[in-house]
Amino acid sequence: MSSVLSMAFPILSHWLIVCFLSPLFLGVIAKVKAFFSGKVGPSVFQPYFDLAKLFRKKCVYSSTVTWIFRAAPVVILAVMLVLALLVPFGRFKAPVQFSGDILLAVYLLALGRFFMILAALDTGSSFEGMGASREAYFSCLSELAMFMNFITLALLAKSISLSQMVGAHIPMTWGGLEPALLLVVASFFIVLLAENCRIPVDDPETHLELTMIHEVMILDHSGVDLAYMLYAAAMKLFIFSGLLVSIIIPVRTGDHWTDMAIFFGAMLGLAVLIGIVESTMARLRLNRVRLLLLISFALAFFGLIVTLWRA
Amino acid sequence: MMSWIDVSCILAVFLALTILATHRIVGMIKIIALQSFLLSFVPLFLHAEAISGRDIMLSGGTMVLKAVLVPAILFWTIRHISMRSEIKPIIGLGTSILCGAVLIAVAFWISLSLRLPGKFESSLVLPCSLATMLLGFMIMVTRTRAITQVLGYLVIENGIFLFASSLYDAMPMLIEMGILLDIFVAVFIMAIVLNHINEEFERTRSPVHRPKWGESQ
Repeated sequence: MSSVLSMAFPILSHWLIVCFLSPLFLGVIAKVKAFFSGKVGPSVFQPYFDLAKLFRKKCVYSSTVTWIFRAAPVVILAVMLVLALLVPFGRFKAPVQFSGDILLAVYLLALGRFFMILAALDTGSSFEGMGASREAYFSCLSELAMFMNFITLALLAKSISLSQMVGAHIPMTWGGLEPALLLVVASFFIVLLAENCRIPVDDPETHLELTMIHEVMILDHSGVDLAYMLYAAAMKLFIFSGLLVSIIIPVRTGDHWTDMAIFFGAMLGLAVLIGIVESTMARLRLNRVRLLLLISFALAFFGLIVTLWRA
Repeated sequence: MMSWIDVSCILAVFLALTILATHRIVGMIKIIALQSFLLSFVPLFLHAEAISGRDIMLSGGTMVLKAVLVPAILFWTIRHISMRSEIKPIIGLGTSILCGAVLIAVAFWISLSLRLPGKFESSLVLPCSLATMLLGFMIMVTRTRAITQVLGYLVIENGIFLFASSLYDAMPMLIEMGILLDIFVAVFIMAIVLNHINEEFERTRSPVHRPKWGESQ
């Protein structure tokens, strides 16, 4: 019994972190954006209230949709919860880790995206079809950059397990300010913004169908389904940020509490940074998004070359 | 201070890559100014333990000329010849970024078999300077306007500067200063020539009213 508990504890603590802190991350970004536009802005806990409101509501389904539309929110949320188990959050080691789990992580992301695209197509709305096509196109490019980054990290850490790659082994190379990591961080930040539909790529606040990507795909979801989708999107942003923070600041002071403070402080800093990027940049024109993602790929590729060169 | 050289080498290539993706001339000039500014620190990084007057002169001269004066002249030019800021490359921006990535790989591959006299402070200097030069060529070849070709030329020069400053001990300062002056004069002449071309054409087209930059006809 106790062994089951000791196995379950890391998993539960991981889920608790993701479930409780991911809406806060969005709240901090919104607060920073409000500050930059000279407003007070909603409280940082507003995303929790929004989710709570949606969880109390009933779902409305169009008569054209099939089971895929109903399954998609559940699948997407489940994918994010499983993905969260593969990612280390500072001192909280990933509960599930094995050699090659990086592929599982990327394919889980792809599975979530696949269901989101299918659900969008399932509604038969031409706008949602457009959003789905954009999502498929841009994610195709961002996955390329992501894989390049992961290859570089795998070469640096000499391991293909996500926990090893972004965990405690990288700091050895940061010690000498490994220039390849600089490229990986820059490239991964672009991937983070693109994958989570943040501003230079997509504006999470606009509801103009012609310009949006992620928001247009969830237009037909309502109530609990919408809450699942939004919650999953918040978790995805949190997981990506966790990965980026682990690459930038690998925690290695001995003290448990200091490490946790460093990690969550860095997450807060990253949320502020994303808020600043969103406030100071305009959304790119759709045909320029492609260029941004290609730049991200070129950076990752350059990082890979530099790593190979110095190896 | 080895790692700072590495970082500036990498940033030089990174900025050259972003120039390939930039679609406005103003943006390109800003990035080139930033690149020149970064590279002007390289002589200081190379001799961090004992910075001589020569290092400071080289660094300061480069900074003033390439990061301040040359961009100022370029800005003056585009303001005075009321040109459209959008560039029209021969091959698309996306393709040129991918070509740029390939060129970086080529630069690293070439420098594998390049044996040069003199010692390099960092193993990244040679491939990164080659990559910057190749990307500069790429900018020159794919952008059709006169001013964008000058910008490509400036990127190439930044690559050469990176290369030369690492071979610093083997090269007299006079040559480096001469090159800097050459560039300055070249950009200056380009500005005047562009201005003249523009005036000629404007005069033949609309003798009554010449629109200023930003003013609609």
